[in-house]
Amino acid sequence: MFLNLDQKPPQSVAAVDDSRISVTYGDIVSFAEEFRCILPKRTLIFIMATNTIGSMLGYTSCLSDGIVPLVLSAHTEKDLYGHLRDLYRPEYLWIPSDMEYEFGYERVFSSHGYSLVRTGLTPPDLYSDLALLLPTSGSTGSPKLVRHSYRNIEANAENVSRMFGITPEFRAMAILPMHYTMGLSVIASHLYSGATVLLCGKSMLDKGFWSMLRDGRATILTGVPYSFEILSKMRFFRMDLPDLRIITQGGGRMSDELFRACADYAARTGRQFIATYGQTEGTARMAYLPAEQAQTKTGSIGIAEPGGMLSIVDDSGAETFDGEATGEMVYRGENVTLGYATCPEDLMKGDENRGVLRTGDIARRDADGCYYIIGRMKRFLKIFGLRIGLDEVEHIVKSAFDTDCLCSGTDDMLTVRITNPEIKDSVLDLIVEKTKLFHKNIEVLYVDRIERNEAGKAILNKQ
Amino acid sequence: MSNLEKYNGVFRDVFMVEDAVLNDAFDNKSVDGWDSVKQLALTTALEDTFDIMLDAEDILELTSYIKGKEILRKYEVEL
Repeated sequence: MFLNLDQKPPQSVAAVDDSRISVTYGDIVSFAEEFRCILPKRTLIFIMATNTIGSMLGYTSCLSDGIVPLVLSAHTEKDLYGHLRDLYRPEYLWIPSDMEYEFGYERVFSSHGYSLVRTGLTPPDLYSDLALLLPTSGSTGSPKLVRHSYRNIEANAENVSRMFGITPEFRAMAILPMHYTMGLSVIASHLYSGATVLLCGKSMLDKGFWSMLRDGRATILTGVPYSFEILSKMRFFRMDLPDLRIITQGGGRMSDELFRACADYAARTGRQFIATYGQTEGTARMAYLPAEQAQTKTGSIGIAEPGGMLSIVDDSGAETFDGEATGEMVYRGENVTLGYATCPEDLMKGDENRGVLRTGDIARRDADGCYYIIGRMKRFLKIFGLRIGLDEVEHIVKSAFDTDCLCSGTDDMLTVRITNPEIKDSVLDLIVEKTKLFHKNIEVLYVDRIERNEAGKAILNKQ
Repeated sequence: MSNLEKYNGVFRDVFMVEDAVLNDAFDNKSVDGWDSVKQLALTTALEDTFDIMLDAEDILELTSYIKGKEILRKYEVEL
């Protein structure tokens, strides 16, 4: 069965959610059987996800029963949902029961606050090893879908389980949304390990989150950089949380200052801070910085996760696996997904990546073999032949000043948006110093705020 | 500028709204898009504007226009 769920002690609690309802591993297995009786064929379904037991049971059942889900947020914009539905024609939807009216389809089955509704659409043919679809993160407009195999998801769960040493005693705070690759990875890796998942649909600035963290006796907390900004603001680093043992971070680079705060907190309180790196295309995770190195390798994503391999391809096209180097980072492992889909015909495609993923991220590898992400391949401007890494400039500005920052531009102008009006001239001087650009090629704009999504990524068309 | 004007200014900027909608009904249930990002921005803006540092408990309680006023009173900001 999916993630060997039927081999866990059936009485063990697999998940608890905000409503304080819990399900055991036995419940998950019997629910998947019930689901199979209602929907006894391989087909395409959309899961409109929330961080709840009902949503999770839909996911584990689909994966156990050979039904292919596209997992989307239950709060996906109407237009985007409509576009994806018309394009991919899912035969069923698994939706929160209180949204049935909104979706307007006939209910087939309902349980745990979720409903299975039939759309009457004819689904496309599906490649035999296709297990799961997720939209690419950070994209605007019509997203590409990432095609996952059954082995991808299992390999991710195994690797993450080894990386964190997950045992059945672990109680994982699942705050990242289920429709987000890392959110799914938290769920899958802990279920695979027979641990307990604490599904939290509340904002981290809601009391519900804090009571679940405390009363739910969470032992491991996974967040994105933005989550740690909230934790820091909430004086988390001075809180007494006796059960918490590990904090892990993924989903992009955080400021050196915050990284150090996490590392110092862990060292001071005898906990572990594990920074990780991943993408949807690599089933959420690919690299991690072992906790012992958190204090000495600030900002590093460390080494390949267990079961994977990292390398760097430099400008000349040469690939190296050790020693100092800078260039595009490449990952190899069983969690490298099959490829993208942009139309329903693509759901018949097989494995296009064959275990090798060109990440599109520029990394530096130090003499100890630790990797540091320094930018995106595509987030570069070329001004007078100078390669300007937008991520790098943002990072420099955010590390030096108290401001949010977003860079964009053309090949003769670097545009830097900041949210602190006092420092425009200093920011300009610093960028000139670091990039060797001229003043006239840089414009620093003050904006009230930089619009970001729940994962902390800048929403480019909203600036 | 009075403290109340400054207070309203913070809400106007964070939520991009007019003064007219700032009333007892303005809270995290009724306002579209009052998520954690907005709440953190609101917290930071109030702290900067009034030169205070909110306790964690108060950041969690900052869930409406009215509650924000009550919280500021605790920090001896008269509105």
